[in-house]
Amino acid sequence: MSTYQFVGKSIERVDALEKVLGTAKYVGDYYLPGMLYARALRSEVPHARIVELDVSPALQVPGVKAVITCDDFVDHGNFGFPVKDQYVLAYQKVRYVGEAIAAVAAETEEAALEGIKAIHLVLEPLPGLFDIDHALDPNAPQVGPDRADGKHPNFLDMSPVYKGNVDEVLKQCDVVLDLKYTTPHQEHAYIETEGALAIPTPEGGVVVYVSCQSPFIDKGILQMVLGLDPARVRTIIPPVGGSFGGKDDLNYYTSAQVAALALKTGKPVRMTFSREESMIASYKRDAAHMHIQLGASHDGVLRACRAKHTFDSGAYASQTPFTAWRGSIHAMGAYRYDACEVEITSVYSNNGFSGAFRGFGNTEACFAIEQAIDEMADALGMDPIDFRLKNCLRLGDETPHGQILTQSVGLTECLQIVRKASDWDRKRTEYSRQAAGDIRRGIGVAALFHGTSLGAEGIDSATSTIEIENDHTIVLTSGLTDYGPGSRTVYTIIAAEELGVNMKRIIMLRPDTNTAIDSGPTVASRSTMVGGNAVRNAARNLAQTINLAASDLLKCSVDQLYRVGEDFVGPSEEVVRWDAVVDHARDMGLVLSTYGKWVAPKIDWDHHGGRGTPYFAYHFAAHVAEVEVDVRIGKTQVLNYWAAHDSGTVIFPEGAYGQVYGGVAQGIGYALLEEALYADGYLQSVNFDTYLIPTSMDVPEIKATFVQTYFSEGPYGAKNIAEPAMVPAAPAVLNAIAHAIGRRIRDLPADLEKVVLGEALRKKGSPVSCKIGLKTK
Amino acid sequence: MQRIQVSLKVNGKKYRLETPPNRTLLEVLREDLGLTGAKDGCSSGECGACTVLLDGRAVNSCLVLIGSADGHSIETVEGLQKAGMPHPLQKAFVEKGAVQCGFCTPGMLMAAKALLDQNPKPDEEQIRTALAGNLCRCTGYTKIIDAVQEAAKELRYE
Repeated sequence: MSTYQFVGKSIERVDALEKVLGTAKYVGDYYLPGMLYARALRSEVPHARIVELDVSPALQVPGVKAVITCDDFVDHGNFGFPVKDQYVLAYQKVRYVGEAIAAVAAETEEAALEGIKAIHLVLEPLPGLFDIDHALDPNAPQVGPDRADGKHPNFLDMSPVYKGNVDEVLKQCDVVLDLKYTTPHQEHAYIETEGALAIPTPEGGVVVYVSCQSPFIDKGILQMVLGLDPARVRTIIPPVGGSFGGKDDLNYYTSAQVAALALKTGKPVRMTFSREESMIASYKRDAAHMHIQLGASHDGVLRACRAKHTFDSGAYASQTPFTAWRGSIHAMGAYRYDACEVEITSVYSNNGFSGAFRGFGNTEACFAIEQAIDEMADALGMDPIDFRLKNCLRLGDETPHGQILTQSVGLTECLQIVRKASDWDRKRTEYSRQAAGDIRRGIGVAALFHGTSLGAEGIDSATSTIEIENDHTIVLTSGLTDYGPGSRTVYTIIAAEELGVNMKRIIMLRPDTNTAIDSGPTVASRSTMVGGNAVRNAARNLAQTINLAASDLLKCSVDQLYRVGEDFVGPSEEVVRWDAVVDHARDMGLVLSTYGKWVAPKIDWDHHGGRGTPYFAYHFAAHVAEVEVDVRIGKTQVLNYWAAHDSGTVIFPEGAYGQVYGGVAQGIGYALLEEALYADGYLQSVNFDTYLIPTSMDVPEIKATFVQTYFSEGPYGAKNIAEPAMVPAAPAVLNAIAHAIGRRIRDLPADLEKVVLGEALRKKGSPVSCKIGLKTK
Repeated sequence: MQRIQVSLKVNGKKYRLETPPNRTLLEVLREDLGLTGAKDGCSSGECGACTVLLDGRAVNSCLVLIGSADGHSIETVEGLQKAGMPHPLQKAFVEKGAVQCGFCTPGMLMAAKALLDQNPKPDEEQIRTALAGNLCRCTGYTKIIDAVQEAAKELRYE
């Protein structure tokens, strides 16, 4: 591993300097001459039929230049994948508070707001569906689209995993636990709100700058809903101020809205969201109701797991069918079982809408199973780490899905590392014996497996281009977006490694659909492995050309060449510079522009039989949290935190550590603070004064270790890190709280009330903050 | 709406401008002066992304009405570097990996500068307290705190 020049070395982020200088331009930082400001009219009710909508009064407002509705789009702006149930602007019905109905472009933000207020809108309220346990009742209000297959319209999907006969095995078990857990909706809380800027082109097309994750999905939707030729639509991704899964769907709506307004007015149009609008309109992590039955024998062998969960998709399918699928694959945890039965059902409701969020179903599922595993260890009188070590997946094991793990399985090492680093055995014993008191300490563990990349969600490939310019600059592209994790730096490292050049020579472009090649969505922690392999292949192709030129220049064969720094050295110790080789390649007429594609190994999953190979590899991890709980006021402080991750080879260590620290912080927020609560469809927290995320006072120093088990398919043996960094944090913290106070909290978040009272202390919800939030500037 | 006259000194440069009085310092910096380093993350003084220094004190510029900044001295992230050289805080943020998406970074830097200007040798707890009003969703704060400690060291040697 140490033979690498850049891979695994201490490297600075390629985009750090512009960000500390304040020169990085995010969407909201663009103020173009003649630019119009857009704003959307959003529903203030959770479920209603649109009875009257007359936008013409908005045009009478001074400064207003255009107003659009769903009628301004092809097929009313219908889009969505895997279920085409969304509209760029509401069509006939609204299904959640915050859903956009019309959009106005005006010379000032104030005029746009006045325009919105002038629109004549009559909504006929419909009964709302807010309790997902009753979503499939025969008389439940219909939220989902009509369907021809006779299934309930509020039923979205059911994702199963089946192995053996769970009832039979449970009968043979010495201990059987029946446990229920819930997780709330979670807000992504990226510090940059959503935004998009559209600039009309002289040819009748549009260039859109949008703060989103997946440029080619954005472009595809724009083409479709605007009815434009592909050559007329260009999506560019400027720096993105955080995303965590949250900047896809809503930004597609927004970019389509500003694009239509730009085409209508012939002027640049920008829409950026207020925080209130962002929180109210944006999709959330699915709320989940989870039911687990776990069986084990007295000797500490796990035997059977049944997991029946319901995920709240809210008003639209968005990514929930995939989220629930990923949840189902991981719902039994990283353990061996004789029998396993997982069924995750996702349903529609009028609770906002749910979509992608870091961990993507596994965050929810892991919270439940990793507490259940702890409860089983308790019931058996076993140490939680011993119990996990006894039952966890190892190299060569068959997973409950029927997949043999043939390489890169580092869970045992992860568990051993956090055990030792945290001084687990001493603290576990000491805290178990602590005298009754108001301030109590506890230590808890959670384990993780997380399938890499898309798995059975879809075709998994990426392509990069690489080119040497006349000034010898190397320009690299990827169709994947770096919205913070550091993939542009990873790609620069890989290209420099393969070409043997200094990283400073390489300009890693941000995604632009005119220069980059479609590489699928930037999701599923797939950038390093899938995107990285594409960069590596592109750079290797270019290196072949350069080597050919060097051998010609040095009059030797390619295998006689060696490198000293950037220089090429021939058999007679003659040295030529990189630039000279590039010039010579050009003189030879060689093409100094190439691309590289990587296609992931085929996977095989039976979606109805619940068997197969859902992912071609897994990330493994173990986290330990040490907490102090003040039982008088219910306050939990995380004192120390240890995380060990089997992420394969680490290419960009600073980025990888950053992912773990940030992921754990987000997980601590999910564990202790965060709840995007919908009361009768109205979000109760619409800004950071009531939606609390961890501050510098809430996150302890985190000690991270990487177990770098080599993965043969990954670039240099790398797997991934972004999502897995967060997933085990909440169950580790909750297991620590249970250890500290001797009582389980099975419903997130473990806030003050739940710790003191064991239940949420809830006033009746109110629509007020939503209604005010949608009217603020 | 009647406009008001305002004089500001921003990053050492004097400005006189006329503006409606209902605007915030953040809006004027971003829209009138083109200084888009300070960000609008919540418009309510909760996230700290708009942090600038007003007479050396860290303030949420989204909460400062422009009239109350009249005659005062403002420092933004754009004013941190001197003669093309990044400030030790900026250097430390880059070197220590304190930047991810970068959106909170300008506010973080200014909050950290206000701290180090007052307390050149802060301990970890003092740094955490000084940055408690600046939300970061990416980094978990660990490396930001490292970077502030590193910059404090370098500033003491300067």
